[in-house]
Amino acid sequence: MGKNNKSKVLILSLALLLAACSGDDEATKDSGGKKDSDGKQEQKDDGLYSIEDFSNVKTNEGEAIDGGNITFGLVSDTVFEGTLNWNFYSGAPDAEILNWFDEGLLTWDENYVYTNDGAATYEVSEDGRTFTFKIGDNVNWHDGEPVTAEDWLFAHEVIGNPEYDGPRYNSDFTNIEGMEEYNSGKADTISGIEVVDEKTLKITYIESTPSLLTGSIWSYPLAKHIFGDMAVADISSSPEVRENPIGFGPFKVESIVPGESVTLTKNEDYWRGEPNLDGVTIKVISSSTVVQELETGGVDLISEFPVDQFPDNADMSNVEFLGAVDRAYTYIGFKLGTWDAENNRVQPNPDAKMGDVELRKAMWHAVDNTAVGERFYNGLRWNATTLIPPSHPEFHDDSNEGRAYDPEVAKTLLDDAGYADTDGDGIREDPEGNPLEINFISMTGGDTAEPLAQYYVQSWEAVGLKVNLEMLEFNTFYDRVGNGGEDNPDVDVYQAAWGVGIDVDPSGLYGAEALYNFPRWENEENERLLKEGRSEEAFDLAFRQDVYDEWQQLMVDEVPVFPTLYRAVLSPVNDRVLNYAIGDGTEIYLSDLAVSQDSPVTAE
Amino acid sequence: MRLDKDSGTQIPDVDLGKSPSGFSILLRELIRDKVAFVSLLFLFLIIVGVFGTSIILDQDDIIKVDLFALYEAPSSMYWLGTDYGGRDIFGQLIIGTRNSLAIGILITLLTGIIGILIGLVSGYYGGTVDNIFMRFVDFFMVLPTLMIVIAFVTAVPGYSIVSFSLIMTAFLWMGIARLIRSKALQEKELDYVKASKTLGTSNFKIMFFQVLPNLSSIIIVTMTLNLAANIGIESGLSFLGFGFPESTPSLGTLISYARNPQTLELRWWIWLPASILILVLMLSINNVGQALKRATDARQRRG
Amino acid sequence: MWKLIVRRTLITIPQIIVLSLLVFILAQAMPGDALTGLIDPSIDPATIEAMRERLGLNNPWYVQYIDWIKGVIQGDFGQSFRFKMPVSDLIGARMINTLWLSLATLILTYLIAIPLGIISGRFNDTWLDRAITGYTYIGFAAPLFIFALVMLFVFGFQLGWFPTSGSVTPGTTPGTFEYFISKVNHLLLPALSMALITTVSTVQYLRSEIIDTKQKDFIVTARAKGASESRVYNRHVLRNSLLPIAAFFGYEITGLIGGTIFIENIFGYPGMGELFLSSISLRDYSVMTALVLLFGLAAIIGALLSDIILSLVDPRIRIK
Repeated sequence: MGKNNKSKVLILSLALLLAACSGDDEATKDSGGKKDSDGKQEQKDDGLYSIEDFSNVKTNEGEAIDGGNITFGLVSDTVFEGTLNWNFYSGAPDAEILNWFDEGLLTWDENYVYTNDGAATYEVSEDGRTFTFKIGDNVNWHDGEPVTAEDWLFAHEVIGNPEYDGPRYNSDFTNIEGMEEYNSGKADTISGIEVVDEKTLKITYIESTPSLLTGSIWSYPLAKHIFGDMAVADISSSPEVRENPIGFGPFKVESIVPGESVTLTKNEDYWRGEPNLDGVTIKVISSSTVVQELETGGVDLISEFPVDQFPDNADMSNVEFLGAVDRAYTYIGFKLGTWDAENNRVQPNPDAKMGDVELRKAMWHAVDNTAVGERFYNGLRWNATTLIPPSHPEFHDDSNEGRAYDPEVAKTLLDDAGYADTDGDGIREDPEGNPLEINFISMTGGDTAEPLAQYYVQSWEAVGLKVNLEMLEFNTFYDRVGNGGEDNPDVDVYQAAWGVGIDVDPSGLYGAEALYNFPRWENEENERLLKEGRSEEAFDLAFRQDVYDEWQQLMVDEVPVFPTLYRAVLSPVNDRVLNYAIGDGTEIYLSDLAVSQDSPVTAE
Repeated sequence: MRLDKDSGTQIPDVDLGKSPSGFSILLRELIRDKVAFVSLLFLFLIIVGVFGTSIILDQDDIIKVDLFALYEAPSSMYWLGTDYGGRDIFGQLIIGTRNSLAIGILITLLTGIIGILIGLVSGYYGGTVDNIFMRFVDFFMVLPTLMIVIAFVTAVPGYSIVSFSLIMTAFLWMGIARLIRSKALQEKELDYVKASKTLGTSNFKIMFFQVLPNLSSIIIVTMTLNLAANIGIESGLSFLGFGFPESTPSLGTLISYARNPQTLELRWWIWLPASILILVLMLSINNVGQALKRATDARQRRG
Repeated sequence: MWKLIVRRTLITIPQIIVLSLLVFILAQAMPGDALTGLIDPSIDPATIEAMRERLGLNNPWYVQYIDWIKGVIQGDFGQSFRFKMPVSDLIGARMINTLWLSLATLILTYLIAIPLGIISGRFNDTWLDRAITGYTYIGFAAPLFIFALVMLFVFGFQLGWFPTSGSVTPGTTPGTFEYFISKVNHLLLPALSMALITTVSTVQYLRSEIIDTKQKDFIVTARAKGASESRVYNRHVLRNSLLPIAAFFGYEITGLIGGTIFIENIFGYPGMGELFLSSISLRDYSVMTALVLLFGLAAIIGALLSDIILSLVDPRIRIK
């Protein structure tokens, strides 16, 4: 499970942002929340829950029966797009479907590092730049054709083709030797990729970096015997992607009702062995019917449970709630410059309204995210300290406490920096004595979105800062934040969220040349640390950890943005389901999935 | 939804016939009709209550988020409980009703003014003027109004009560224009208009000081019925998520909380009072409107 | 008659053009575009820019409009930006669902309206009439979405009599009887919710029409001649009252359009209305524009139909 590719995770950021805000409960780490023998979550006295009390592996009850069918609920308020190929898809719902019938050739462990127990194994050369992959002999497409090195090369050729219309071509690809020449038409082949024999592929990268081992290798082959004769621009809309998609995963697509449901049967020839289940039905359910569907056994598993519905349903009798720390964080960002489209880099503005670091620090100290997490989310979101979430335990710096809630500290910081209330109206003026009005934008979506943003405004007001809130719908929000490179000058502060890739490197979000560096912040120290984090030296784990600890502290000192909340993902599973887990590196695979009885357990 | 109110289904409603008009008859009929009278009283109480209370209430205080009072059930402290922001529902209900009423009234007045002007001019002059105006009306009549309004409010983020009302008005004035035109067409054939014309009275004077007063009862009836529909429009859009931000509470935003199944099922106090209130409001306004209509229609007048 | 039809059809063309222009401009005015959703640090911004260029999103709006309208004239609504398939394919499946929903609603509307209207009109001022009139008053006042929410809550969730989302049970094979039953089952609750509300104006109309008609001279004459009461109703009153109802059928279509948006949203029914709402938030302009155009066309044709039927059944109504 959870062998998603990196891009999927990042696109998840959208889903997160859109669905942002749902509350549940929290538990202080030592106060109850123990599981009873059934593995059910116990209600705590204070109504708070903690992610620590959730397991990410289903407790098995009863014996597996032969075969059986399960239903997977794809929780989405829009239909799935139906671009059912890893090389072309762009929506998270499509990825949820893809997981069932296709997979990457490489798997990874709980630290997201590639392992050698996937469909292919790999070896790295001395200099860390050349990877040799060996695809297992028993790995075959659903139509019986073997998955070959040619297919893997073909995937690279299609994505690198100038006619390619998907979103995958990025720095992971341009880091392959000869890729840019191929992309611009200067070369007919990609010089860095070599097919050694039918099942062996060799890829040479330009720069060696530890990121290569955590998700930067494109491990999804494209069936050349099917797509080889098509024009590249036609593949994504072809019936072989949309109606009869192909893969080599544990299940095969039987039929699709576009946008609504997919029926799958087991792939008897699956390389890990024949799956236990006979088949799987995937159907789209809206977030408003999730609970109903789970209680009646209409679905056995779902993609993601809306966290805000958890407190009212924590005692649902026929499911076990699995939980994991989400690879994501919510944050508040300060606009410190603009985007220079000519040179493709940020253009910091030293005179920006939020330019004073003391002001930014004070605004962090002024907000009580522990209370927000407990009150709005019942503890299932909790105070965030650094910009590397605990979903990356190797790199998240536990000892770094960020900036704690303390309005007095905030006031002192503001006083010392010269933000004083000179006209006695209870609102601070800027150090020159001019009125200071800060414009804050936040995104709509979900019940708590507005009260949450409103709460921040009130908190800032409590330390004497006047902040104007505007709630914007998703597209408008990112348009103003500067998604297209045109930053709206009226925005000073914004609240958003990021999904984090399985690779910890934050360059794509905070580097000076990253368009998604929405604060438009630049700092020499930051550039140095980001660079060291992906250097060859960083293959040494301890070195890399030190670099990122330092980076996390730098962000606490400089506060171009500050993290507000970390998140939990919850996944209820019907009691009859066996061998299921969420998260990474559990070594439990979809082919192991089984059921203990023919029909789902229903709620009492 | 009620956006389609002007689009044909309701056409049978507006055959008011010719009858002696005048406010006194309207009022007399209204008082004689018990249901309508009670409705009118209700309406009066709600309006006075809402506008009166909203003067005392501090709106900033009501929309203030209180982390320690989320989802409170109704109590002596919060008469109708609180929502997920710890905000008092009763206060929001008052402010929301005020906002919804204000929008409804504003749209009704604006559509009324535009509709009367165009209808009167078009019907009175007839001929080419009428033809042009009516093609224009025809065009607007067949627009899929709800979809266009949704597209419109998406394209214009951050609208206020006034700009929202203006957008709505742009798509809702046709029904009344068409009605007034057909009445004006009949009216101008009557002797008093002809007499005035021979006497050399200006067209402007005839239209606005002679024809218009004769249409007043029809106008009152139509606008009353439109008011109910227009209140519904705002709540419908808010329900779909294209209404006002929560800092501007309206009946629609309160009902739209019910889109969350947990709220729908477990926290009735958030959405039910607003739903009932909207129902009562619309029923009352409709009752008054229907009674007025009966009053102007001699055939159906009671007793 | 033919002259009228030709004339009305000709007027339709500029109507459609103005409508499409309006929607297109609105779509362009919305912040963000179909690619705004691709906020993903692993995607090179240059790639997104190239996609934008390829999709023509960077062209001035009138160039985009002309490109698009050229396609529409040839029956090609273009490609969906988000779903990467022809808009016509995308809408096709949804359109069938919406057509079924509308048809079911219309049938139920008349099934409810005709008996209620007749009873209410024939036995006016009895308790039965008062009950029906009471229902029409409430139905007239109740916003459709509140009523639909309650229906979903009661019959979908509490009683569990109907499915709460979708248009068909996954895995049923098209063409089988089971498939058909499943379709009907998914359709019933949404259609009924909408019909119960939309029917009230027809009930009211029918009622007052019958009350009017039965006092008319020819009815009185018929009665005086000794015709039985049921004969009077079946032969005379109903014929006169029902024909105009049939004519309003076309106008009903306009009302259904607004209704389906709410109903499909509440019942998670994958039709054109739901597609419209999601295409707005996904900024899938081509889909959105095509949908508004189709709905507009349906309304125009509906109004035309009604006018024609009306002028056929009632020569007094002269349409210019």
